[in-house]
Amino acid sequence: MTTTSATHVELIPVRSSGWRIGLGNLTRKELSLWWATKFWWIQTLIWVVILNGVSTIVMLDSGGMTPDALIDEAVQTFLLVGATAIPIGIVLTLQGSIVGEKELGTAAWVLSKPVSRASFVLSKMLAHFIGFTVTAVLIPSLLFLTAAGFILPEPIELGAFGIAVAVTELAVLFYVVLTLALGCFSRGRGPVAGAGITLILMGQFFKGMLPMTVVMATPWLLGDVAASFPMQELPEFNRVVPMIVVAIETIVLGSLAVWRFNREEF
Amino acid sequence: MALNSDVLEGEDRGQRAPVSVITTRGLTKTYGSIGALESLDMIVPQHSIVGFLGPNGAGKTTAIKLLLGLSRPTSGKATVFGLDTAEDSTAIRSRIGYLAQEPRFYTSMTARETLEFTARFFYRGPKREVKSRINETLDLVGLADKADRPTRGFSGGERQRLGIAQAQVNHPDLLILDEPAAALDPIGRRDVLAVMERLREYTTIFYSTHILDDVQRVSDSVVILDHGRKVADAATTQLLDGGCIYQLTLTGDVMAGSAALQKQPWVTEVVATASNGVHSMSVTVSDQETADSLLLRSILQVDDITVTAFGRKQYDLEEVFLRLVEKQEN
Repeated sequence: MTTTSATHVELIPVRSSGWRIGLGNLTRKELSLWWATKFWWIQTLIWVVILNGVSTIVMLDSGGMTPDALIDEAVQTFLLVGATAIPIGIVLTLQGSIVGEKELGTAAWVLSKPVSRASFVLSKMLAHFIGFTVTAVLIPSLLFLTAAGFILPEPIELGAFGIAVAVTELAVLFYVVLTLALGCFSRGRGPVAGAGITLILMGQFFKGMLPMTVVMATPWLLGDVAASFPMQELPEFNRVVPMIVVAIETIVLGSLAVWRFNREEF
Repeated sequence: MALNSDVLEGEDRGQRAPVSVITTRGLTKTYGSIGALESLDMIVPQHSIVGFLGPNGAGKTTAIKLLLGLSRPTSGKATVFGLDTAEDSTAIRSRIGYLAQEPRFYTSMTARETLEFTARFFYRGPKREVKSRINETLDLVGLADKADRPTRGFSGGERQRLGIAQAQVNHPDLLILDEPAAALDPIGRRDVLAVMERLREYTTIFYSTHILDDVQRVSDSVVILDHGRKVADAATTQLLDGGCIYQLTLTGDVMAGSAALQKQPWVTEVVATASNGVHSMSVTVSDQETADSLLLRSILQVDDITVTAFGRKQYDLEEVFLRLVEKQEN
């Protein structure tokens, strides 16, 4: 170490305050984990293989279906596979995002700087939502439309498909917020992954067995709601209610996550 | 140094200079039924270096985390720069640099990226000047040649150096260092102490350590904790001062010398010892002023005696520390 005297330069101090303090810097750091490393293209590759692989096989295997039925089958496959696989991917990827930082001590280090705890949690929610939006939804959706344009006999209605993608984004946001919220409440990765995956799998098993009013209060219907737009199947009420309920639940979960993290002791 | 409650707190609004940076009053932290810190009263004056000592589990790190707002007190209060650590934690942290006991960083970032990330919490530009500050800080801690290596490959000592760098990249008004020299080799330790002494001009340093030699070398004052309780809080010189005990090393007729001293009314005890042919004498007095002027003269009046060393007893910090901690445990 040298002990030369420090030169003092005029630096412009950060002037934010309240819950947003540190949000920009932390979001930038979280986004760099996606976009400044190999992570983004590994994620993209995984989702393209899973979502576009399965839906392309369906498109190529028409099996004597009418053009309309084939389009419905391809769209439904793409959206419903995504409705199950993407949440599982989110939970597995983000299970250690908060817990890992608590365990390693990086959370305590960051929080010793002028940073609000809300910023710490919200920056992760924002960055991972953007990451999964691009790699698991937007890129596979564009590739799906491109493949459909080449393979299917008739074009897919873009407006309805766009709404379906937006509903899928709502599911992505819900599961990102849920996983990070579980991380705020938990001290280990196991409970985070366990609770998240259990919720997703329960949807697969119990969605058809429970009363519709109960099911509509869960995120389990979002895949069906998304698929219903291009296929014009579910009645209006059954489409809107799950979206509103999940949006409210996402806000509540996000607020609970920040509340809990504010009480965390390091 | 007087550590009294009259010391001014925080930034004074008028003409008077700010005096105290950290003040705690009855600061207490319990985890269930386990008391980690018990009613800590402490004042850290501005531009001082205060050593925070105690055995493992004494409550040092707990106290530091309370000061940083990383944990909430069960009772009592702490203020830093006159701001409440429970209410104004973010404002306080904008003026603090902190080094954790085992510093951890994002392993994918390089040392330079780590400092850039840290600096962005404090500064929004200009980019060139921020970059220059980072280069200066890397140079300060001797990491300039490893600046672009990911921290995942760093040794404990390198992580510690990076920890010191990130703690002072914002030129903080208060540096809180939890065991700053723990993972360093002797040269690294020496350098850290040199950096601390140099920074004293700009900042106040509050640091915990187990290395008592370091404390003795650089600290203005010392706070000692044991089992969550404060057992000492005083200026280092005051703590090490032997007070009314004088020590002499001599040759010749030691018994005659001892007898001559015992006749003096201001001498209360004389203990003579010999080891490897060297005679030592420990003299306890009731009047330091008289002893300062007469003790040496009195013994030199005895024929056939030579005094080779004379002075007031200076305790070693380790001696003081062990005595206080053992006393507390008993």
